[in-house]
Amino acid sequence: MKHIARQRIRRRQVLATAAAAPLLMLPGKAPAQGGTKKLSGVTLNVSCWSSSYPQYLASYIPEFEAQTGAKVNYETPSFPIYNQRMDIELATRSGAHDVVNVTFIFIGRWIGAGWVVPLTDYIDNPKLTPPDWDVNDFLGGSTAAFKDRNGRLCGIPWIADVQMAGASRYDLIQQAGLKLPDNFDEMATMLKAINHKGGIPAFVAENHYGWTFIPYLQGFGGDVFRHAPTDLTPVLDSPEAVAAADFFCNMLREYGPDGALSYTYDQVVQTLKQGGVNYSTNNETFLVQMANPDSKVAKTCSLSLMPGGHAGRFPNVAGHGWGIPVGSRNKDAAWEFITWATSKQLFLRMFRDHGYSSVTRRSLIDMPEFREKLRINGIDVAQLYLDTLKLGSKGYTIYRTVPPYPPIDHEIDVAIQRIVSKESTAKESMAQLQRNALTQLKRAGVKL
Amino acid sequence: MTNSHRSGGWEAERRRSYRLGLLPALLVLGLVTIGPALYLLITSLTPLTPTNPDTALDFSDPLGNYREILATDEFWRSVWVQVELSAVTVATQVAAGLGLALLLDRPSRFLEALRTGFLVPMVLPPIVVAIIWKVLYTPDISPLHHLLTWIGLPVRSLITNPSTAIWAIAAADTWEWFPFTMLMLLAALQMVPKEPQEAARIDGANALQLFWHVRLAYIRPTLVVAVLFRLIDSIKAFPLIYVLTDGGPGGATQVTNYYAFEQTFNFSYWGYGSAVAMLMVLGVFLLSLVVNRLGGEMLDE
Repeated sequence: MKHIARQRIRRRQVLATAAAAPLLMLPGKAPAQGGTKKLSGVTLNVSCWSSSYPQYLASYIPEFEAQTGAKVNYETPSFPIYNQRMDIELATRSGAHDVVNVTFIFIGRWIGAGWVVPLTDYIDNPKLTPPDWDVNDFLGGSTAAFKDRNGRLCGIPWIADVQMAGASRYDLIQQAGLKLPDNFDEMATMLKAINHKGGIPAFVAENHYGWTFIPYLQGFGGDVFRHAPTDLTPVLDSPEAVAAADFFCNMLREYGPDGALSYTYDQVVQTLKQGGVNYSTNNETFLVQMANPDSKVAKTCSLSLMPGGHAGRFPNVAGHGWGIPVGSRNKDAAWEFITWATSKQLFLRMFRDHGYSSVTRRSLIDMPEFREKLRINGIDVAQLYLDTLKLGSKGYTIYRTVPPYPPIDHEIDVAIQRIVSKESTAKESMAQLQRNALTQLKRAGVKL
Repeated sequence: MTNSHRSGGWEAERRRSYRLGLLPALLVLGLVTIGPALYLLITSLTPLTPTNPDTALDFSDPLGNYREILATDEFWRSVWVQVELSAVTVATQVAAGLGLALLLDRPSRFLEALRTGFLVPMVLPPIVVAIIWKVLYTPDISPLHHLLTWIGLPVRSLITNPSTAIWAIAAADTWEWFPFTMLMLLAALQMVPKEPQEAARIDGANALQLFWHVRLAYIRPTLVVAVLFRLIDSIKAFPLIYVLTDGGPGGATQVTNYYAFEQTFNFSYWGYGSAVAMLMVLGVFLLSLVVNRLGGEMLDE
């Protein structure tokens, strides 16, 4: 009798389970534990260029896999490799990736060409987006660039990349009776005074000059285009541009380390952390690493706003964000990954575990814990961050997002190399840069 | 009559069988080589860029890319850099390879072991070779730079100086590829018959005369083939340039294939890049013809 009852129960259980199975397969309705997970059987291919946040993210991905059942193939190639590969993959709509970084410099091109999907439908769907995710918590300045021509958000920013200035050995600057410079004249004076003090060169800049040189160009009153995005006539041979190039290259040549032209961002960060060079104008996310526990200069480093020129202060402000390629076959799962990777909880953990501070959520920046931890040797870096973002909101970085900019960015790299290596004078090199920029624009079909 | 008819039929049958036998190889050749080459040619006649898919079929100005390339200073500079790099690397690789082959051409277990050791650079993945040299050429971490500084001969970074960058690349390339010429020439030297060498020795020839008048004559065809191989391969130089200098400083190490790579993959000018590649194919083809003819003449002599 007992045996028969047990059989009935089993049969009922089987029938009930069979009836519930289709329901369990609905998105967002699967149990988080026991049985099939929400994204079981889904493989997500995720790619981003190598930087602090993507590297930290790698250590949390097993948690996402455990929670959702998805398998994540995650890769973080270097910045140029990533952009080159992704440009081709997105252009061919290959579907090889489900979640990609929408690189700032390619925003106009990738979003403009419709190669990544608008995310508005996902954001507005409560079944697909957790209620506490809150798109409005993202800093306005960080999301604005990711909108398509219809105002739809096509990327969720994981970084607001702002440029600051930092010294690894501020003690040497103080010994020289100086402080961190506020403008280029003060900067030149300081670099001259501290060069080789403590046995280290005074200045280094990442060799992506299409990024690191531009604040100098604009500070001297120059620009890349006459009036982006409406007038893309290049103005790279203007007297202001030549003066800026002359100044920047002179600093690099006179006060840079041997082989300064070969310094990638990673080398810059490591050299600063080792106290191998004193001063750099670079991204906040790189400079704050001088205060990390593994840094030799944690006690002597200091940060400030990017110095300005007579035309004003123009620190680089850019954003990188997660997007979904139109060719992806796992768009819902990709969105699940993006909401997880940009959640308040994960940003907070990254901040607590790794000191990641270039967050894009206002609620985190406003946390007393965040402000306190970002006080580096007495400097309120969080405030510098907000002040820089405020400067960036004036829109002077729009030149970076116009589709034909990437090749010009590279031409700027080469032009600066020519000047630093004394292959050409600033005037000759910038004139050649202007000619090359015109050729690139013509090839891109831009009517001037 | 019947026999001859049969014989003609047999000949025709044989030709048909040959053709059928060749067909799979021709098909593979067509798919693997000729197909992509044709596509490259077709693409080179368009302004193709992935941001505007319509450009794939735009044949309104089929020679536009070629006209633009020939009028671009950067392209001609890249050709000159290529000529410099090829001339230096081929000359040094042949000289080093020949010198070592002559030294190693003796029956000795020690020399055999040494021979294997010399082959190591050639069998390393090119990217590993590039990383080794990147370390050697980066002053703050380079044992080479530290050593030179220690002995009082400090040397500034070689790869960020436009006057030395191309030589730095050439040195690394020579290190990687001299084992190839060494191996080929060593094999050729070991095939040189003993009799003429002994006869020359009996006649009083010294080592230099023996090499110049006897051994060189025998290894000359191999030497030509080695030069041809290295010359063609030098035009494909890429990983070293990519890792060590990225074509810089200021384009000082930008060879033509790097220029094509940059235009195609960094800037997405696929049509333009294809046209540069077509010109390179043409250049290599002409070069092969010239070297082949020279080699043939030497063989005839």
